[in-house]
Amino acid sequence: MLKETLQKFFKIDRRWIFLLLAVTLFVPIMKPIGLPNKTISPATKRVYEYLEKLPAGSFVLFSLDYDPSTRPELHPMATALVRHAFSRNLRVGVVTYIAGSTGLIEELFAKVSREYNKKDGQDYVIFPYQPNILAVLTQMSSDLYGIYTKDRNSTPVSGMPVLKGVKSYKDMSLVVCITGTAILDYWVAYVGDKYSVPVAGGVTAISQPGYGPYLQTNQLKGLIGGMKGAAEYESLIKQPGKGTSGIDALNLAHLLVLALILTSNIILLYIKYF
Amino acid sequence: MKLIKKQIPLAIVFVTGVLTLVSYYVPHKISVDYVETLNKWENIVVAFAFLLGLISLFFSHYNKISRTADGWGYSIFVFIGFLAMVIPSYLSHGKQMTDAGLTPLGWSYKFIYTSLSGTMFAVLAFYIVSTAYRSFRIKSLQAFVLFVAAFILILGKVPLGQIIWSYVLGWTGAGVDQVIEWIMQVPAVAGKRGIMIGISIGAIVTSLKIIFGIEKQYMGKD
Repeated sequence: MLKETLQKFFKIDRRWIFLLLAVTLFVPIMKPIGLPNKTISPATKRVYEYLEKLPAGSFVLFSLDYDPSTRPELHPMATALVRHAFSRNLRVGVVTYIAGSTGLIEELFAKVSREYNKKDGQDYVIFPYQPNILAVLTQMSSDLYGIYTKDRNSTPVSGMPVLKGVKSYKDMSLVVCITGTAILDYWVAYVGDKYSVPVAGGVTAISQPGYGPYLQTNQLKGLIGGMKGAAEYESLIKQPGKGTSGIDALNLAHLLVLALILTSNIILLYIKYF
Repeated sequence: MKLIKKQIPLAIVFVTGVLTLVSYYVPHKISVDYVETLNKWENIVVAFAFLLGLISLFFSHYNKISRTADGWGYSIFVFIGFLAMVIPSYLSHGKQMTDAGLTPLGWSYKFIYTSLSGTMFAVLAFYIVSTAYRSFRIKSLQAFVLFVAAFILILGKVPLGQIIWSYVLGWTGAGVDQVIEWIMQVPAVAGKRGIMIGISIGAIVTSLKIIFGIEKQYMGKD
């Protein structure tokens, strides 16, 4: 009798699981649990420390290559990193190789530049989307202006104060690539390794383990992984944002996944051996 | 005919491949100029490829609609989606934001593209959780090892899991962050490094086969 009931439970309509997950996510979103994120991973700390050591006025290139599908994980870390760069008075350049990211970049800089009173063209520049990443990465090694003559508003970039003295990778202090794709691998292989440019990254939680080899060999100066990484960076710069509130909503969802896996395996064992 | 269809393309691939490969290692002005020219050509080719892809997509979906093939209704949304982004883009001259606020393109991006894209990705979470319940079976030692690693990572990635770990396993003296760090730095890196080396060797071999004309499938069957 119990076996039959368990077997029915085993083959439960997946829509019940969908409903359970929806409720589990909905509750903390409406009423945050507010648990503090106590641990900070060494890889995230390395990015923070690298940026922290750069002298004011250094040029940092951000490659923001994510679209709205990975926004919850990657946008908070991009926001935290740009905030950190602006608070350190670093000059910021932004490139993108994902067409869908342009709106997110606009949104980010419209908000963060106001917070720090930074001006377009003077403190930061946003280059237009380019479709052919490898050609652009190679071109920028010799002459940035050979590929980017204008910014995303068609304003000529030559002579912009933010780009003073910046012609190629050798004039950049750091490249930070935030992406949910393999674009970070391109930055490491085609730019970091070949031209000795420091490269750091921010990726989704699912692709984070894949970058372990680059971290060990110092080909990546640091790596921020997933929403937890974003929350960690926000706590490092002492500005809680969407990463911190997002990790709060994930608390119960993670435990639900574990509970479901355990339950299904306990049922399996019972059916098999009793 | 053979000369035009086979030998000349093979010669172009060989010369371009070898020159590009050599340019990677020779930091001379000639090689830098060569790479720059090639980059410009590549960008032009990519632009045409985009156009070709778009025309092909339209024809494919137009045919589906005209033949009322299975799922033809979805094909209408390809055109609706395209027009919903392209018309505002044209009206806004490609700008998403001005001092006055969102342009029509910015509006379409924020309220159509962002919402649809976010929804599509969010649906994945529901399927992952459902699949975890229905398919994650510990039937072997390997599956058990995978389960233990997944368990620790899922638990340790959220504050509530960290608190549970310190209550239940705090007596071991090992923090969940330390265990995660070990998993990421030792077994995960070892596995990933093996995969990366394998893929890289495969890519090098395939590239050499194309450059030296051993692999010719890209030229088609004729």
